[in-house]
Amino acid sequence: MHLHFKLVFFSLILCTVTTSLPLYGNILSDNGLPGNDYSDHQQTGERLRSLVDTYPELSALTTLATTQGGKQIRLLTIGAGNTDIRPAIAVVGGISGNHLLGSELAVQFAENLLAMSDQNRIRQLLDSVTFYVFPEMSPDARGQYFSSLRYERLYNNNIIVSHRDPDSGAPPFMDLNQDGMITMMRIKDPTGLWIKHPDDERIMVMARKEKGEQGKYRLYREGVRAGKQGCFNAPDKRGVVFDRNFTFKYPAFQPGAGPHAVSEAETRAIADFLFQSGNVFAVITFGEANNLSEPLKYNEAAASARIHTGWKNDDIKINEMVSNLYQDHLENNLPAPAAGQDGDFFQWAYFHCGRFSFSTQGWTVPETDAERPDPYKSEALRLLRWAEANDIPEVFVPWEPVDHPDFPDQLVEVGGIKPFALNNPPYHMVDSIASIHTNFIIDLAAMRPVVCIVNIEKEKLDRDLHRITAQIINKGSFPTASRTGEILRWKQKTVIRTTLDDTQQMISGKPVEVAGVIDGRSVITRSWLIHGSGNVNIRAGAESTGFSETTVSL
Amino acid sequence: MNIYKTILSAISLLFFLLITPVGAQVSDGRPVENFFKASGSPVNPKVPVSWNRYYTNEGLLEIYEQLVAAYPNLVTLESIGKSYDDRDLWLLTVTNRDNKPHHQKPGFWIDGNIHANEIQTAEASVYTAWYLVENYGNNAFITDLLDEKVFYILPVMNPDGRDHYMSQPNTFNTPRSGTMPLDDDGDGIAGEDGFDDLNGDGHITQMRRRNPYGQWRTDPDDPRRMVPAPPGEFGEWELLGWEGIDRDGDGMLNEDPETGRYDHNRDWGWNWQPDYVQRGAYLYPFSLPETRAVRDFVMAHSNIAGSITHHNTGGMLLRGPGAREDARLYLREDVQVYDALGKLGEKIIPGYNYLVLYEDLYTVYGGQIDWFHMMRGIFTFTSEMFSRYYLYNEDPSGGWGWGFNEDFYSFDKYLLFEDAFVPWEDYTHPQFGEIQIGGFKKNYIRVNPGFLLEQELHRLMAFTLFHAHHTPHLEIVELSSSDLGGGLREVIAVIANTRLIPTHAGIDLKKEIERPNLITLDGGEVLAGMIVENRDLNVVKEQTHNPAVLEVNNIPGMGTVTVKWIVKGGRRLSVTVDSAKGGVVSKEL
Repeated sequence: MHLHFKLVFFSLILCTVTTSLPLYGNILSDNGLPGNDYSDHQQTGERLRSLVDTYPELSALTTLATTQGGKQIRLLTIGAGNTDIRPAIAVVGGISGNHLLGSELAVQFAENLLAMSDQNRIRQLLDSVTFYVFPEMSPDARGQYFSSLRYERLYNNNIIVSHRDPDSGAPPFMDLNQDGMITMMRIKDPTGLWIKHPDDERIMVMARKEKGEQGKYRLYREGVRAGKQGCFNAPDKRGVVFDRNFTFKYPAFQPGAGPHAVSEAETRAIADFLFQSGNVFAVITFGEANNLSEPLKYNEAAASARIHTGWKNDDIKINEMVSNLYQDHLENNLPAPAAGQDGDFFQWAYFHCGRFSFSTQGWTVPETDAERPDPYKSEALRLLRWAEANDIPEVFVPWEPVDHPDFPDQLVEVGGIKPFALNNPPYHMVDSIASIHTNFIIDLAAMRPVVCIVNIEKEKLDRDLHRITAQIINKGSFPTASRTGEILRWKQKTVIRTTLDDTQQMISGKPVEVAGVIDGRSVITRSWLIHGSGNVNIRAGAESTGFSETTVSL
Repeated sequence: MNIYKTILSAISLLFFLLITPVGAQVSDGRPVENFFKASGSPVNPKVPVSWNRYYTNEGLLEIYEQLVAAYPNLVTLESIGKSYDDRDLWLLTVTNRDNKPHHQKPGFWIDGNIHANEIQTAEASVYTAWYLVENYGNNAFITDLLDEKVFYILPVMNPDGRDHYMSQPNTFNTPRSGTMPLDDDGDGIAGEDGFDDLNGDGHITQMRRRNPYGQWRTDPDDPRRMVPAPPGEFGEWELLGWEGIDRDGDGMLNEDPETGRYDHNRDWGWNWQPDYVQRGAYLYPFSLPETRAVRDFVMAHSNIAGSITHHNTGGMLLRGPGAREDARLYLREDVQVYDALGKLGEKIIPGYNYLVLYEDLYTVYGGQIDWFHMMRGIFTFTSEMFSRYYLYNEDPSGGWGWGFNEDFYSFDKYLLFEDAFVPWEDYTHPQFGEIQIGGFKKNYIRVNPGFLLEQELHRLMAFTLFHAHHTPHLEIVELSSSDLGGGLREVIAVIANTRLIPTHAGIDLKKEIERPNLITLDGGEVLAGMIVENRDLNVVKEQTHNPAVLEVNNIPGMGTVTVKWIVKGGRRLSVTVDSAKGGVVSKEL
């Protein structure tokens, strides 16, 4: 999934020499029958509505925003009763337009979970945990898979016309071989930097100058020279990329970053929702980053800098705990670990929203045993080898010559990995991936922070003088907040509130205390000295832990 | 209501003119013969305004409407958005509307009152608008300014805050924000423990209590003032903080006011950081309706080349960056422009210092001036109005002491006759018992006393006008043609920018913010076009695509650009320079 990153910078590379990335694709449905392919925006909506119709007591569907492309940012809330004041997990998919799987995993999580709601254990879970499912955060971009011209796209429809880029209004790409997909285009040219892979001639790799290799091809995405400056189309500059538009390490002025952080309806919608929803203690993102196959590592300098860029050590331990759980579920199918990118959602959710944030691609192309390691480390080769070993058909469009208006005297061929094939498995594999991830999230939810008031002791010092001592325990595995959440203003802290009646007087102790983090399976003790008699009410908790309340009679 | 008001002020102006005897003008209800002109000020303003008092939002709107009615060809009034409490964000566009469209002129942005309690900044903005229109046609410099430039003036960016500051009990430091309540103390309830105006005088002043073990004693020179007890001695007073009651029982006073603690000037799009790094930051850049409205306006007006955002206090002209790590992006050529203007500012506003925000004051992430400079390429200053210097026109000695500095007491005593002080009076406090309440009023310390207001408004405006004057001014200073034979002509144009500010700041060029200047040759068939880098040695850079419209990245301040075309045919040739920040100029050969 490093592909995503490269794709964003594709446009920059285009004008200079040639591209370094194979941008390929795939038709991923298995036989073209309904239900055997990833769902488009409308189908996703129908699946969600069908859930709400089937489980009206346990689910609700809302629209948080509408994108520039007229698509809805939908939220499916799953839980019984009052879903606002109890721990919640946000499950976020479809954050990258080229990651169809992420959206599907979010939707299938909802479907699987609700289908299991007749089981006692799931029903109890839904009484005590809320799931906020955001299936499609980049719907404009994702729509390109379902359009007549299929290519991997990350940007939304909020076209930023760059005055400095005269090509920014040009149409994206051109389907030279008219196969409905944008693949690659190679031009035989002694100035080119690319060669055919010695182990598989279908694959283009960059010649290794240091090994004395001589480039033989120029390589572009399929298209024609557009605009006056002689660039090929640079479509990724044209809109805003959801996963580059957040405030943590915001990549200002970079392609896809937008005019400023959180400038888009999509990004604002989820940011506003999460800021307002203090009950969300964990965010699970299906996207390009992965801190589940391997946990993040503690970096003291980064974690303690004035502007934190590394997770706090206590939070790293939670990441380790959750990563262990993930590894137990995924076993041999772990996707590749991958760092977050500047301006992405996954890191924002931790660093600027203060929630425990976990991300996985759900699936990456598995390594296939090969005779020798690939010296070019080609992702395309990895895909082809895996596809062959597993009888996955048609991930590749064979190179075929075309007449190209810009290169009338040169051999121009179009072909390559089909769009979407590198980042998404064939659809028949999705059910089992979704099922595994559903179970992982259910087990994660069981680790939620739960605050209870226990071990209440009353000590009578005199007729009307009482000391109340109570312990506040977090019975969950998660702390009541992340360490970053504790320093961020918008994450609701655990509050202990002791309410007296008018005849009582608090001699010592606090009527209201904003407590620090209570770690998982940990206890804090508080006491109050009260003059008077009657009932005293003690309430402790936060939106993300649930509230515990007790009345003590003096 | 606003239409009604506009009509009413137009009618009253008309009535005013009609009842005046023929041949006799009046000013402010008095015959004009009764006045003698003071240099530099309008003797007979059409819109008389007293500049020794402050105006509520309604009072300001009345002035705007009078300006529009009196000078319809120079002033337009529009609302660019709504505040959190649904108040209009009124913007004045000031320019000569009769010569060319305002977006084809270099623009200058002025705003005030982004911080609620910094109220004189609105008057600074309105004074500028008023002075410009009242002097247009009478003063060559001002007339040229309004012919060549356009001023976009938002006197009050935070009208909710201005209203709260004036109409509600406050200290001179509050509120800084707007009126959105926030849970500042984190206990789950918003705005439940703010100030309490215990003595009901509309000001939040200090609470003190007699205490034989206190740290403060009465100043023998001024019994209103307290001074620290000498080392090793007790005083007679303890200070209890601003007027208030611990309403939520958390042991803290005034820690969760009804106006949440957030800062519009930490809500901008460059190097935004969250609240734990940058106190006052809200959710993300432009997460407040007021800053969002300004963003939309500024992004839609790419002609804005210079700006000033007015604040108090301390007598400063600040430039960015707000954070040390951005210093490398304040490029040398841009800093030179700031330095030239800033030093001029120090001269014409005695008591002001030209400073670099992060280096000389404090770090600001997500501040307005950085967004203006870094992401819009606009040369921008922050003013910090009023300073202790103005009490006695000398550099003050000693610390601020926030209201306890002796200069403020003596100034109040000898020049304001104790109008700025609430005398200490006994009060029975539910938590502290017998206390006294008193101290400086909210309209002192940070806000100019009335008689010191007009001079500072004028000096600050003068600096602003010179800044605006130095936005790009483009002239086609040479347009010549020579015959190459065979029906071909070589056409050369030299375009000068006769002001300090370039059409594109260094940061603009580095980050590719604004489109290039377009220099177009009309008439004839343009076969080739090029930018001349060295005319004497014929070093040129050819533009092969669309050579009739040359794209010139920058026309530097106090500099020229030379371009050349090879043209076939065409009798009447004309050249047009179209610059986003430099305006549009044309010349015929």
